[in-house]
Amino acid sequence: MSRTWLKWMPAVAVPAVIVAGVLAVPLQAGAAVDLPDKSPQDVLELAAGSTVDTFSGTIEQSSELGLPEIPSTGDAATAEFADALDLLTGSRTVRVYQNGADQSRVQVQDTMSERNLIRNGSDVWLYDSADNTAVHTTLPADAAPTDGAEKDGASYTPSELAQTFLDEVTPSTDVSLAENTQVAGRTAYELVLTPDSSDTLVGSVSIAVDSETGLPLRVQVAAQDATDPAISVAFTALTLEAPPGDLFAFTPPAGATVSEETLPTKDGVGHSEADPSGVTVIGTGWDAVVALPAGEDAAALAELTASPLYTQVTDAVDGGRALSTTLVSVLITDDGRVFAGSVPVERLLAAATQE
Amino acid sequence: MSDKPAATVAPQTAQARTPRSGGAWALLVSELTVLFRRRRTWALLLALAAVPVLIAVAVRLSSQEPTPGRGPPFLDQVTQNGLFVAVTGLIVSIPLFLPLTVGVVAGDTIAGEAGLGTLRYLLVAPAGRVRLLVVKYVGAAVFCLAATLTVVTAGVLAGLALFPVGPLTLLSGDTISLGESFLRALLIAGYVTVSLLGLSAIGLFFSTLTVVPVGAMAATIVLSVVAQVLDSLPQLDWLHPWLFSHYWLDFADLLRQPVDLSSFGANALLQGGYLLVFGALAYGRFVTKDILS
Repeated sequence: MSRTWLKWMPAVAVPAVIVAGVLAVPLQAGAAVDLPDKSPQDVLELAAGSTVDTFSGTIEQSSELGLPEIPSTGDAATAEFADALDLLTGSRTVRVYQNGADQSRVQVQDTMSERNLIRNGSDVWLYDSADNTAVHTTLPADAAPTDGAEKDGASYTPSELAQTFLDEVTPSTDVSLAENTQVAGRTAYELVLTPDSSDTLVGSVSIAVDSETGLPLRVQVAAQDATDPAISVAFTALTLEAPPGDLFAFTPPAGATVSEETLPTKDGVGHSEADPSGVTVIGTGWDAVVALPAGEDAAALAELTASPLYTQVTDAVDGGRALSTTLVSVLITDDGRVFAGSVPVERLLAAATQE
Repeated sequence: MSDKPAATVAPQTAQARTPRSGGAWALLVSELTVLFRRRRTWALLLALAAVPVLIAVAVRLSSQEPTPGRGPPFLDQVTQNGLFVAVTGLIVSIPLFLPLTVGVVAGDTIAGEAGLGTLRYLLVAPAGRVRLLVVKYVGAAVFCLAATLTVVTAGVLAGLALFPVGPLTLLSGDTISLGESFLRALLIAGYVTVSLLGLSAIGLFFSTLTVVPVGAMAATIVLSVVAQVLDSLPQLDWLHPWLFSHYWLDFADLLRQPVDLSSFGANALLQGGYLLVFGALAYGRFVTKDILS
């Protein structure tokens, strides 16, 4: 009898060892990280003074916004809408390669396809393997995509920049430091921004800053009264070595549909889809509401509201339909106005009636 | 001179029939010989080979170009590069055909011998049970490799015969040489083989529970389908990383540039876990079992 029992031992011990191993790994990762003490101001300075522009890394992005999960099956129109929703509900892996200021490659990995954004000097390629299309753009010689931030950054020292940021946010936000943490195998300080307002849906924003280089390693946004982050963008792997140079030399593959696109004039960059003049912002700080008057992008709106999934993910409210997630609410009124903000739907409704 | 052929044939057949004579190696050789001499094994491999060939012929004969986004992934690439026949063949085979054939072979391992009444002859040696279990599992694993290679080889051959073959376009849009493409194809074959090892271990365990091989085969195949159904339900996403079928289709990571081996590692770790757990269960069951047939 006892011998029979002995022979079943491995069948009990092996799963036990595996479970113990699985439980031990996150415990080890969460072990206390000992770093020199710093104030939030010091950490902001560290982040502002970061000069890392050469690295290869893998970024994991996930969103849990409390939207209904929608299986990615069905007809093309549904699938398209579900794809857009997937950005809000799903998780994805992105590989990033950066070599200096003017060479970068971003790869968004989908299950059986991949989207690539490759910048090599002034050449920018966008390649989507799902439909085998490549788009080429040439950047104007003087316009780096992050020029605004860079030019501002050039005129400030890191400590000035940190102080400016603190001055900007402190009226509405409490800036503190959480326990030191570990991201992608690197030690990091964790800055926590907590809104003072209780009207906003945002509970806190935490930013993990690499203790060595000041590079932000992880950004998490948590909803009010939630423990798990609603949005998380984090490095899962990071090396600070230069990626192989041939990664940035892109030629579209044979058979791909190649199109050339010219950039709109410099002022138009980033605002191509909507005239910013019609957009108004109601309120300031975390509980501000963005309002879009009727008539803006009416065609796109009509297409959106025609989708059967639109009624599935939105709720009928007084005078329109509302999409409410744990972080953001969007109200589309029956007369075509759009209100959005990181506030409860009631506040959007109030803003809509005031307008 | 005249008795030389007879002398070389005789030990082979003797080895195949009396496996104990040469230890574990001889047992393994005889197991593989028996496995790959069976008509059923060849029928399974032929059915697998037919999958990519059918895809290639259908695309070739069809008048309309496959449109991107419809049908299995990479189908639209097939007309541009025949090597994608192998990849499409694998994607189509992974959900059902490969688990089906592996389930048949793995489910048959112990129960098949018991059903034929030959199990007790294989267990004459006192330490024979563990060795037999290991040999049976290795036999099933070799079949996994053979099955995957069959799909890849048939796909490459069908692609060579019916479509232009040249440098391969990866998911990232980069193009690699023909030699490197074959290397990637082998890497994918390795990935899929590793993917099936967990299922083989489950089949081996089921096979020790019964003397009716069909029961073990059916249970293995049903479980592989159930795992994939569970994997598609978003409500169970906490369970997904633990399902043996979770990484089955992630071999696309091997078609990125630079090659992404992280899913290969995660898959190997998961399959290793299944192998250990179900190997231990099969051991517990098999060494305590009364062999009556």
